[in-house]
Order: sequence, then structure tokens, then C-alpha cells
Amino acid sequence: MDRELFERRLAVLRALIAGLLAILALRLWQVQIVQGDYFLRLSQENGLRVTSIAAPRGLIVDRRGRPIVANRPAFTVAVLPMEMRHPREEVPLLARLLALDPQDVTRRLAASRDRPFEPVRLRRDVPKEVVAAVEESRMDLPGVLVEIEPVRQYIYRDLAAHLLGYLGEISDAELRSLRAQGYGPGELIGKDGIERAYDRYLRGRNGQIQVEVDAQGRPFRTLGTVPAVPGDTVVLGLDLDVQRAAEAALGDRAGAVVAMDPANGAIVAMVSHPAFDPDLFSAGITRAAWSSLLRDPRQPLIDRAIQGGYPTGSVFKIVTASAALDLGLVNPDTRFYCPGFYNLGGHIFHDHEAHGHLNFLDAIAQSCNVVFWTVSRPVGPEHLAAYARMFGLGQRTGIDLPQESRGVVPDPGWKRRVYRQPWYAGDTLNTAVGQGYVLATPLQVARMLAAVANGGELVTPHVVTEVRSPEGQVVARIAPPSAGRVRVSAQTMAVLQAGLAAVVTRGTASSIQIPGLAVAGKTGTAENPHGKPHAWFAGYAPADAPRLVVVAIVENAGFGAEFAAPIVRRVVEAAFGIPAAPSGDRR
Amino acid sequence: MTTGAAAGSPPRPRARRLLRNLDPLLIGTTLALVAFGLVMVYSTTRGGPHPFIFLRSQLVHLVVGVLVGVVILAVDYRSLAAGARGLYVLNLVLLAAVLVLGRSSLGAQRWISLGPLGQFQPSEFAKLAIVITLAKHMADRPGPYESLVDLLPFLAHIALPMVLIFRQPDLGTALVYGAILLGMLYAGGARRRDLATLAAGAALLSPLAWHVLKEYQRRRLLVFLDPSLDPLGSGYGIIQSKIAVGSGMLWGKGLFAGTQNVLQFVPEHHTDFIFSVVGEELGFIGALVLLGLFFTWLARGLRIAVVARDRFGALAAVGIVSMVAFHVVVNIGMTVGIMPITGIPLPFISYGGSALMTMLWATALLLNIGMRHQKILF
Repeated sequence: MDRELFERRLAVLRALIAGLLAILALRLWQVQIVQGDYFLRLSQENGLRVTSIAAPRGLIVDRRGRPIVANRPAFTVAVLPMEMRHPREEVPLLARLLALDPQDVTRRLAASRDRPFEPVRLRRDVPKEVVAAVEESRMDLPGVLVEIEPVRQYIYRDLAAHLLGYLGEISDAELRSLRAQGYGPGELIGKDGIERAYDRYLRGRNGQIQVEVDAQGRPFRTLGTVPAVPGDTVVLGLDLDVQRAAEAALGDRAGAVVAMDPANGAIVAMVSHPAFDPDLFSAGITRAAWSSLLRDPRQPLIDRAIQGGYPTGSVFKIVTASAALDLGLVNPDTRFYCPGFYNLGGHIFHDHEAHGHLNFLDAIAQSCNVVFWTVSRPVGPEHLAAYARMFGLGQRTGIDLPQESRGVVPDPGWKRRVYRQPWYAGDTLNTAVGQGYVLATPLQVARMLAAVANGGELVTPHVVTEVRSPEGQVVARIAPPSAGRVRVSAQTMAVLQAGLAAVVTRGTASSIQIPGLAVAGKTGTAENPHGKPHAWFAGYAPADAPRLVVVAIVENAGFGAEFAAPIVRRVVEAAFGIPAAPSGDRR
Repeated sequence: MTTGAAAGSPPRPRARRLLRNLDPLLIGTTLALVAFGLVMVYSTTRGGPHPFIFLRSQLVHLVVGVLVGVVILAVDYRSLAAGARGLYVLNLVLLAAVLVLGRSSLGAQRWISLGPLGQFQPSEFAKLAIVITLAKHMADRPGPYESLVDLLPFLAHIALPMVLIFRQPDLGTALVYGAILLGMLYAGGARRRDLATLAAGAALLSPLAWHVLKEYQRRRLLVFLDPSLDPLGSGYGIIQSKIAVGSGMLWGKGLFAGTQNVLQFVPEHHTDFIFSVVGEELGFIGALVLLGLFFTWLARGLRIAVVARDRFGALAAVGIVSMVAFHVVVNIGMTVGIMPITGIPLPFISYGGSALMTMLWATALLLNIGMRHQKILF
């Protein structure tokens, strides 16, 4: 080794190290001696405060851009744990002013002990009088902040409540899994519906502001600001007018209405009653209000449109008819005789009336149970189940909302698994007319109708069609691909369509005839153990070139034609801009 | 001859001669730094319900570190050179094990749990292992290094462990390897223009590295460029650290008298940010004393490199000095806002058993090289 070079280079290394350490020393001199007074004051007075600026959540608008969910400014009272001088006196005073439980306040302060420099939001949407009282006690409440923050506003209160969802403070479990995505403690997050499913678009990005504050905690100089970025606008396929008509038509009865575009699955209206007011959640729901919602026997929190599993009643005959037609067991002109009952090995099944001589198309129109019982035997339970699944029953539709139910399509294997019982011939009869074990959500039924309306495409329903930035640029287009095709022959499809048209023109649902607009559909009167039958109507319009599928169910009301068809009628009228018929015409 | 101290009477004079060759100034500064570190660790961790728990852990590692260090001192360092290949492989295995078994802390996997013995951070020991194996490698290929191509084997030498470290991901430690390589190549006689090319190549590759970094690491780097980007998160640490250091002024607020409030807001203040507490409690004077101790330690290390009897010892000494110098400059620079936050500890001072033991063994190795600098006469 070249000794001289080595020693020279080591000398250079030593000089380099000395130089770097000298730079550190210079910097320390600058920070500690030149700026020392300034930093000392900052440290003594806790003179630095960093708070986040809540981003306004994105709007939710209907298909024509009309806002359904927006934000309004409101006061939030928060506290900076590190600036509280005498928590023992401050907490009870603050709790009294804000009408909170002092133990609750203490618990929440303790929960954020690892981040004492972040304000803990104690109460959102605080009334003006309370803010005034807090301001009056300011001297006794160091560390308490009053901020103006956007609060969620559901403009039409309980309209489409289930679909829209609601907000709540982020839970510990959510925080653990979402922290990496920038969610922080105390933040509001979508808990259900669109608010939850599209939270990542709606939430925006919180800003931050760093200020120097004086000894009283009043900010006097801003050191740095990162503005909040508002959330994206979520555009729904929903039509506010149709939604309102559907809400009004269902009224205060328990049930659901779904209106959907059969071509692409866009939801035009979706109602579930009884509903709740999502506004209750916007500023953090009180425990009493929450438990009363949970305990309400009418179960207002359940979204009946996508979570309610109902027997479908005769609406299921669409499945039974396709199976019988497609397997070549019947054709539209096959003749039957209905004496008003069906004898299954001595066990008598009663129809609602004796239809006498009729062909298969009439049987669909008249919803003759005897004919469907008769054909169900040769079709068999496996085929019934297979066709039901082909129409999308017994599986989630894949709608962009959380917690959708699957429903039930029974077959012998299923019954053995679930009930450990063999399948009886009577089960086949019950299934054929949508009774027994069959369960479907109104949304599944709507999709089944859409498949008939559009010639066999099993669309994927979706409530959101587009996400736009606050500036109006399209961020995402929601157009889920269809889930497949219903593989029945074109002939079968044509007979189904003719049958559903006949239901309205000369069948069970003549009450729904609208002048100038041909409607097709199927009634259902689903017997159930809870009381009167559920009333169903599932239809589409116009019959020859369908643009809208509408399904209505009213729980424990009675006949489908009497209680559900009028709802569908009003929704169709609203959607096609037909002035509503005089009220005397309606039951 | 390696067990001279333990054997009977004849080797005794040799052992005594060796001990006479120990560098008292290096030992003295090491003791001072360790003591300084223990006091600061206590000062930053005494707040909790168990005020001595961190100090005790640090003391346990100190004792183990010193005992193993004495063994390292007793064995002729040249036998380490013989085991370099095995050490290199062992090092890779340990680093790979972290990726597989590692416990993650603050988003990075750096630890292997040893059950009751606590946690163990191979990347700390890896630094010393790299120095030893690279010194051996360079001693085996003594050069002269007349082109960039001559340097490539050494680049390859650190590349593999560097990639493993990067995967943890541990940006700071990966950069330490770079500093070690540059320092040793420079001392080893590489041409300046080749080293400049290497550095430029690394700079060109850095956009690639950007993609490998985790989100939090990128944020730290961006925040270094503009702290107001994220005043609540990463930027907050820098600002609070500066407040702590700056508020110490000339004499500091006094040992254990740092404003507890501020302490809580300096993140990781007993590990990576311990210097901000030094600055706060002991002031500019205390900080200068600490810088002086480090400079003395480093200068003695370079002195040992000069007197070392062989190329392996000289280069190993340079590697250790490069490593420690890089740690000191980057760590202290970070707490005063002139270096990005990369998460590397302050040698001897930061809380952390693996790091402390590594530093003690590095010191032992330096002493070993230094005391065997003369040909031993029989």
C-alpha cells in the first residue's frame, strides 16, 4: 500500500469529519444562541399548536345534479389535552356546558393520551348559546377550542336514508385497519350506505394549520397551513322526483320500493320504510337515540330493499314458467284445467279461485297456482333452483352498498344441509309459487325483472354512476359489467314478456293500466308467518321497450294487486312524467 | 498466541506489552460517551411508572457488550479476517431472517424477538460485519484500483446486504453502508474520479429507490424539504425537536429539567431524537462537549488506522470511523433540521441494546488493532 497516499487521505478524512462537526456546531449555535430566546418562549408557553382543518365531505347529488346530501357550517368544541391546566376542574365544567357525561369526557381524553397535541373533538354541532357560554368561561377553560367545521346535512332528512347511510366517529377497529390510509382518531367516517361504500371519495383530505398561540391560547401567528381538500362529489343514478314519489307512495307502511334502469342496472329510486333520519348521526348520535333506533321493533335501520329476505309469492312464477317453457314441458297454448285445488297424494293444495279451462299464458296472467303446481312436478326442484339462480336469486347482486343479503333458493341438497330433512313433493309445489323456503330481496327481484325486460342480461345494480372532483372533473365512472346472461331461448323470453304484459292487460294487475303507457309485471301475495301476506308487484314499462323496472313490497298488507301495484303505478307515473290519476282511481 | 493472557507465565510479558499499547484516550472517550448516554437515557425515560426499566435494559446490554468486547480484544484481530467469509454469510442469513421473522416497529421490520432476552436488531451488528468483511475483501485485493471496474467487487460486496436492509425497509442503515464503502475505498486508494462516478451513479439510482421506499419514508424526505407540508405528522417532529434544542440556549435547562411537555412531543426522544434532549437539558455547552467527545473518538480511530500493522486492520479502522462519523453527523443534523429524518441512532447515546453493543465491539476492535500495531518480538 502506498503509505504516503494512505496517510494523506486519512488526514483528508479527519479534516472532513472536523468540518462536518463544525457545521453541526454552527447550526447549534444558530438554533440555541441566536434563536434560543424564541424557541425557549415557544417551549415555555406551549406556544405552538397544530390542528387539523376538517375537509368538507363531498356532496351526494341525484342524476340531474341536485344535491341530496351537503354540508353546513357548525360549531365544534374541542380540547387540547396538553393545554389543560387543571383537568379536574375543567372536565366537569366543560361536560356541564356541553351536556356530556364527565366520565365520557375523561375517557375520551385518556384515549388520546399518546397524541396530546391533537385536539379531541368533544361535541360537534354545538348550539350558539352553548358556544357563548363556553366563550364566557374561557378563562377557566384553557386548552378548549371552538372551531367552525362542516357538518353533514341530509337535505331531505329520511329520504333514501338507507341508501345514503350515515356517519359516525371512527371506531378503534376501523382506525387500526385504516390508519395507513390517513384516517385519524376522532374523525367521522361513513358507517353505512353510500357514505360508507364511497367514503374514500367523499372524505376529502383534512388540512393542517400550525399556529403560534399566546399564553391564553389565542392564535396570533400562522406558521404553516395546508388547506383542506374537499371530498369528491358522488353522482347517483337516483332521480329525486321518482324517489320522492316512491317514498310518498309507500308512506308509513313497512316495505321497500326499487326502481332501476333495466339496461344498465342504475338505481333510479330505492326506498325502505320505516326509515331514520341520518342527520341524527351527523354530529355524533346520542346514546339514547341510538339505542331507541336499535330496539325499535319495526327495525328502521334495516335496508329492506337489499337486506330484507322475503318470500316472493307468485313473482317467482317467472322462474317456474321459464323452466317449464325452456325445458319444453309446456308452450303458451298448452291447455290446463284448474278446479281451484291441487291434490298431492291426498293432501289438498287450495288455489285462491277456480280458474277453469285456461292456457299457460293465461295461467301467468291469472297467476293460477294449480297450473304452476302441475308443471312444477315434471320440472323438479333441481331445475327450479337452477333457473332461479340463473335469474340471480340466492346470490348477491353486487350492488355498491354494504351488507347485501343473499336470499335463499332452496333445493333438496340445501334442505338436507340446513334442516337435515328430506325434500318432499310439497316443497316443490311451494317453491314453484315462491312460498316455502324461497327468500329474495326486492333488489334481486328487480334484477330478475330487468333480465326479462332487457332480454336476458343479468345487470349489476349500482346506485352511483359517477364520481366527480369538486371542480367537476370525472374521477371515476361506475358501470359494473353485467353478472352474466339468463340462458333461456328467445322463444321462452318472448313468452315471459307476453305473459307479464297480459298480467296487466287482462290479468291480476289490471288496476295498474296507465293510459298511453303499457306496463308489464307480476303480482305476488306472499304468505308468511308474521300476519297478513306481503304484497308484491314487480314490473317494467314501457312493455315493448322497457326503460324502468319497478318493484314494490308492502309487508303484511294483503294482495299484491291491491297494495303493491298502486305504488309501482305512482313511481312509473313520476318517472315518465304522467300526471297522477285522480285519487279516487286509487285504492 | 491468541490466548496469551490466559496461559502460564511465559506469555505474560507479551500480554502486558499489549495492554500497554491500549489507547487510553480512546478508552477514556468511550467511557465518557457511554456514561453520557446512560444519563441521557435515564433522563428521557424516567417519566413512566417504571423509571429505571430502560436504564436497566441499557445497563444489561452494556455489561454483555463489555464482556464480549473483552473477548474481542483478547483475540488477535487477524483471526477475524480469517473468519470473514463465514461472517459475511451469517450476516446475510440474519438480515434475511429479519424479513421473515421480524417484528415490525413503526412500519419497518427490524427486530427479531429472542423471547425473554428481548429483541435483537441484526442490522446494527450488520454494520460492523460489513466493515470487517469488506476490510478483508479489500486486503485480499489490494489494488492499485486503477479503474471503476476494480471497485465493482466491493460494490457487489455491500450490494446484497444493502438490498436486504432496504427491504426491511431501513433507509438510514442502507445509507450507512454507502458511507462505509466510500470511506474505505477512499482510504484504500481508489481514484477520486471513480468515487465521484460511484456517488453520481447512486444519485442517479435514487429515483428508483424512491419507489421502494414506504409511504412514511417518502413523507419524511418530502417533509425535510418542506416541514410545513405535514406539520402534524413528520414535520412536527422536526419542529418540536428544534424547539427542544433551541430552548436549551447556552447552558441548558439543567439535567432532568427539560420541559416535560416538550419532551413528550419530541417523537422517539430516547432513541433517534435523544440529541434534542441533550440540547435542551445541557445547552450549547453540553452539545459542544458531546461533539468534542465524538471528534476525539473519531480522531483516535483514524490514528489507529495510521499505525495499524496491516491493510486489513487499517481499513477496518477506517470503516468503523466512517460508520460512526456518518451516524453522528446525520443523527445530530436531523435533530436540528439540517438532515432528513432517516431513523439512525446516535452512537453510544441513543437507547437501544443492539446498537450499544455494536458500538462497544467496534471500539474493542479498534483497540485490538491499535494495541497490536507493532511487531511482537519474542
